Amino acid sequence: MLPQLLNGLRMLDLSDDRGAMCGKIFVDLGAEVIKIEPSSGCPTRRIPPFLDGEAGEDRSLYFLAHQAGKLSVTANLDSPDGRAVVRDLAAKADFIVESLPAGYMDSIGLGFDALAGANPRLIYAAISPFGEDGPGRDYKAYEAVSWAAGGMMFLMGEPGRPPLQMSLPQAGLHAGAEAAIASLLAHFARQRDGRGQRIVINMQACIVWTLMNEQAMPIMHGDFLRRQGVYLGSPKLRRKFVFRCKDGFVAMMITGGAVGSRSTRRLVEWMDEKGFAADWMKHQDWSAWTPAVFMALNERDLRENAEMESSVERFFSTMTKHELYSEGARRGVLLGPVMSAADTAADEQLAAREFFVDVDHPALGRMIRRPGAFAKFSRTPLAPPRPAPRLGEHNAMVYGSLLGYSAERIAQLRASGAI
Amino acid sequence: MRRYALEGVHVLDFAWVGVGPITTKYLADNGADVIRIESAARVDVLRVSPPWRDGQPSSINSSQFFASYNTSKRSLALDLSKPRAREIALRLLPWAEVVVESFTPKVMRNWQLDYERLSALKPDLVMLSTCLQGQTGPRASFAGFGQLLSALSGFYHISGYSPDEISPPYGAYTDYVAPRFAACAVLAALDYKRRTGIGQHIDLAQYEAGLQFLAPALIDYFTSGRVLDARGNRSDRYAPNGAYRCRDEDGIERWIAIAVADDREWAAMLGVLGASQDPRFVTMDQRFAQSDELDSFIGALVRERSAEDLTTELQAAGVAAYPVQSCLDLHRDENLRAFDFWHWLDHKEMGPSPYEGLQHRMSRTPGELRSAAPTLGQHSDEILGEMLGFSSDEIAELKRERIVY
Repeated sequence: MLPQLLNGLRMLDLSDDRGAMCGKIFVDLGAEVIKIEPSSGCPTRRIPPFLDGEAGEDRSLYFLAHQAGKLSVTANLDSPDGRAVVRDLAAKADFIVESLPAGYMDSIGLGFDALAGANPRLIYAAISPFGEDGPGRDYKAYEAVSWAAGGMMFLMGEPGRPPLQMSLPQAGLHAGAEAAIASLLAHFARQRDGRGQRIVINMQACIVWTLMNEQAMPIMHGDFLRRQGVYLGSPKLRRKFVFRCKDGFVAMMITGGAVGSRSTRRLVEWMDEKGFAADWMKHQDWSAWTPAVFMALNERDLRENAEMESSVERFFSTMTKHELYSEGARRGVLLGPVMSAADTAADEQLAAREFFVDVDHPALGRMIRRPGAFAKFSRTPLAPPRPAPRLGEHNAMVYGSLLGYSAERIAQLRASGAI
Repeated sequence: MRRYALEGVHVLDFAWVGVGPITTKYLADNGADVIRIESAARVDVLRVSPPWRDGQPSSINSSQFFASYNTSKRSLALDLSKPRAREIALRLLPWAEVVVESFTPKVMRNWQLDYERLSALKPDLVMLSTCLQGQTGPRASFAGFGQLLSALSGFYHISGYSPDEISPPYGAYTDYVAPRFAACAVLAALDYKRRTGIGQHIDLAQYEAGLQFLAPALIDYFTSGRVLDARGNRSDRYAPNGAYRCRDEDGIERWIAIAVADDREWAAMLGVLGASQDPRFVTMDQRFAQSDELDSFIGALVRERSAEDLTTELQAAGVAAYPVQSCLDLHRDENLRAFDFWHWLDHKEMGPSPYEGLQHRMSRTPGELRSAAPTLGQHSDEILGEMLGFSSDEIAELKRERIVY
């Protein structure tokens, strides 16, 4: 069997929920990721909800999901001995990722300059909510705040009701994954000349990047989009793209033109079979139907769009989302059911690809099913999934074998509260 | 002379729309030579999608949507439905280390440009194929947009005011999750190939990449049967948590996002808002339990305040807050400006136009938007002439026969 992609490379993870995904991706790619936790445990151990609803330092679902496969050591950054331990680890590391407040690592002598002095190969990624140069350098940003700052919150929700976040935090995952990309890019430069560097990841910018280029609209079209719930498009032509069905919702865009006319023609055929298509829909030249080009919008476009939407909704209400998904796929109608976690768990495509994996968690005395590899590699499959670590589970291995500390030294560090 | 992280990396990019081009943009902005092989017969959907220069779709080269995702690349326009066009594409294969494509699986097979054929010619090739649901399985050929996949993978279900009032994330959300994994996959596989000589094929289902961002909710379901539903701005960690309406500005609604994690932040927030402790909301447990009343309480306190000023005051007191920024606000945002996020690049047909910049900054080998996006076939002549040795007569002939554009 071939060694894994990043075999032999080591990352120190000093991040919280703003960076956990970075180390998780490195674990999947076969790197060794050492999570450095305070003796009270990484804050991500305390993120609710918990396994079976019971709190506990090994039971946070966030921790189980995004810290899986990492090694855990404890080191107290408030103690000089604890910092010395981290310095020793950094001397043997290829990457560091952290999401601590701006300037904190420098203030305790663990900033990039200090660590790179001893290890010029070090690649150091700092995740920052707003970058390090603006008025928001020291700002706090929890999920809703990053979602707002990056422009996504403004676009989510219905008019007349508050803007929304998603019900599962996302911003930190984008930042962490971006840190993984940046660290790998810097690795290419290091392969050339042996030198590392410092990288700043800007969380706000990461969210702006999710806006599907809507951010160029104010400049190019002179206006900006307001939240419109389940409607898309310009204020002049709101186009529904989430429809109710028998047991939930289905996403579909009623489009014409080069992109969508084939799907819409097939939809109309399908509706016609069940008696839901008006005559004009059957005779419409859908390839020429492009009300998305709202500059050319006329009364007829508006009327036709409204009639299509109401007919589709009546039609969809006769079927379940699973029926719509299966039959839509068979007929080439572009639609997507709004699936819940329960639907995802039962999805036949994921089952056929053996996406979900069962991972033994000895500390919890059970197997836990979870999402598997983010991609399938033909020669070097991603690392087999491992459980998230218990707090300090790998102290002996890392401090003893890797750093070569004696048993006495480790006992002394433990006694003084450094580890 | 400036050196980029990926100098010397050569990429043949057959990808289109969102995920593929955003993935190769990471490579191009960091110095890789990325040649987009665009099918002139089946033009990239983004080239005909807004926003457009002057708000009008004047040509196939006037979409900023396309431009933003294709900086720093070159464009070779071929009609890949014709065998001679595919021969030209294959003549670039020895030059390329990486091939990227994002069609449904049958497209590259029909063109005889799939991994089996390409790797037979070039065994150490690194190739990424990314489609919505993966190269295998009963839904491998599922076609559609990222919006549909965002619904399908579960993001819509957890967005909204309640399970019956969903209100999705804007746009094709998974198109902005999957490239992060795709870029990592390509970079790690390329590094491996350079060290070991072993190339490979990467099958990245945008579905499976997206689900990584939902992992806690899936584990919750598998272990307890609990299904996470849309729940407005309710949070497991913060109370209050959400968006609160402030004073309108220029006739436009302004809102502020506030999230409070503990009693210290709560006290600081009350101080800034000039409110005294309310017996209903003293502890986190109380604030979680009475979140509707809590939202009304805060809503009344901030309604006449300026979102900007309140942000400054709350953050100075250690409370997480920020104005809910519109796309217009983002262009005036002081923090994005300080990060030098926005760039104006001079596009061959569009002239100066606004591009979003990079999401990270490297101290020693920073990437940058090296050039505006190419027009369709902007580099056809130079690629055919300088790289493949076609004479100008031959190129003219290929264009007459509509093999090259």
